[in-house]
Amino acid sequence: MKVLFIATMLIASNFCSSQQWMTRNGTIEFFSATFIENIEATNEMASGLLANDGRFAFRVPILGFRFEKALMEEHFNENYLESTRFPNGTFEGTIANWNDALKDGQSHTVMAQGILTIHGVASEREIESTLQWDGKAWIVHSEFTVLTAAHEIPIPKMVRDKIAEAISVDVQMTLSPR
Amino acid sequence: MKNFSAHSILCCLFLFIGWIASSVNDLRGQSLLDELGASELAVHPVYATFKDTRIINVQSNETPGQNVMHFVIAHRFGQINEGAYALWGLDNASMRMALDYGLTDRFCLGIARSTFQKTFETSLKWKALQQNSDDSVPLGITFYAVGMARGDSTFAESAVNRTFTNRLSYTYQAIITRKWSEKLSTAVVPSFTHRNLVEFIDNAHDQWTLGAGGRYKLAQRVSLNCEYHFLLKGLKESAQNSLSLGVDIETGGHVFQLHITNSRGMFERAFLTETTGRWRDGALFFGFNLSRVFDF
Repeated sequence: MKVLFIATMLIASNFCSSQQWMTRNGTIEFFSATFIENIEATNEMASGLLANDGRFAFRVPILGFRFEKALMEEHFNENYLESTRFPNGTFEGTIANWNDALKDGQSHTVMAQGILTIHGVASEREIESTLQWDGKAWIVHSEFTVLTAAHEIPIPKMVRDKIAEAISVDVQMTLSPR
Repeated sequence: MKNFSAHSILCCLFLFIGWIASSVNDLRGQSLLDELGASELAVHPVYATFKDTRIINVQSNETPGQNVMHFVIAHRFGQINEGAYALWGLDNASMRMALDYGLTDRFCLGIARSTFQKTFETSLKWKALQQNSDDSVPLGITFYAVGMARGDSTFAESAVNRTFTNRLSYTYQAIITRKWSEKLSTAVVPSFTHRNLVEFIDNAHDQWTLGAGGRYKLAQRVSLNCEYHFLLKGLKESAQNSLSLGVDIETGGHVFQLHITNSRGMFERAFLTETTGRWRDGALFFGFNLSRVFDF
C-alpha cells in the first residue's frame, strides 16, 4: 500500500511539474510617435501561456488592434501588417532567470528570451519584463520596441514622417492557473 | 519475497507511467503556442474590399467609418475626341464635390454638388451585410439611395415645366460585393432610376440597369478598376451603356482615382441613364477624383 501511495505521489508530482498559467484577454498597446502624428492602437485579445519551467508563449490577433481612426486601422491591416496573410503576432521562448523564488509577491525583472514573429518575419529577441506573483496568478508587464524594418514592414517615403521606425509596445496581462 | 517483487514491479510501472506522462507533457509543450488553441479572431468581417467608397462612377460597398467625414473632389474633363484644340478635352472640366459622413461604421449620409446640370444630391448608404472571413457570409450587400435635383435654368424646353418636382430624380441600388482574394474584388450592382421629367414623351420614367464592377490590385497601394452598366430596357435607343476603366492610387489619407469613361455626369442618373459617349467613336472623358478623410 505504501509503495502504491508513493508511486501515486510521484505521478502526481510529475503532472504538477507541468502546471501552467494562461490568459485570453491580455492587453497590448502600441504607440508610434512622430513630429507630425501620433498613432496608437490597443488590442485586448492577446493570449499568453506560462509553464512553471519558465517557458512561455504569447499570441495576438493583428486584426484585433483598435485605432482611433478607422482608416488607420484599415491601412494597418491592408498595407502594413497584411493581416490576412499573417493573422497573428507571436513571442515564444523561455524566461532566462526563472526560479521559484520569483513567487515571493514582489515585482521581479526578468529576461524573456525567444522568437518574436510579426508580419511573418521572426526575430530573436531578449525582452525585459516584470513578473509579479499575487498568490494565484502572474502579473506580467513589459515595454519594448519593435523596429518596422526588422519585420519587413514597408513604409513608403510619402508617409515616413508620419509613422515611426521604432514602435513602442506595452504589454499587460494576468496569467491565471490553467 | 513474491510479494516484494510484485510491489516493486508495480512501483516501477507507476514510475514509468509518471515519466511517460511528464515527457508527453514536455513534448506537447515544445510548442506552447499550439497549446493556445484557436485564435481569438479566427472569424472577422472582410475589410478593404475596395479602396474607396466608389469603384469608379458607381458606389462600392465601402462607407466612411463612424464619425468620419469623407470628402471627394471629382473632375471630369471634356471629350477626348475634341482633339488638340481643346487639349483632348482638358479645357472643359466639370466637377463634383461630395461630403459623406459616417453616422455608424455601416451607415452614412451624403451631400454632393455637380457643376454638370447644377445638380444637388443627398444620399443614404447602408452596409446591410458584411462578407465574413470564413465565408459563413460569402457576400456583402450594401444599399444606396440618392435623390438628385438639377438646378440649371435652361432645364426643360418650356418654362412651365421647370417646377421643383420635375427637377428631381432618384436612384436605388443594391451593391453586392465579394472579395475573392487580397487582390481581386467584384461587385454586381442592380440599379433602379426614376426621373420625374423625361426629355421626350416616349422616354421611360423608370430605368433598370444591371452593373458589374471590380478591382484588381496591381501593387499594395495601386489597383485597376472597371465597371459596366447595362441598360435593361427603355432608354436603349437614346442612351449608351456606361463603361469605365480606372486606376486607384492610395497615399495615406488620400485616394487618387484616374479613369476613362464614356459618361460625362458623375451622379447616378447621368451615368446610368444618360450616357451618350461611344467608346468606338473616342467619345470618352478623362476623370480624376481625389478623396480625403477627416476624423471627428
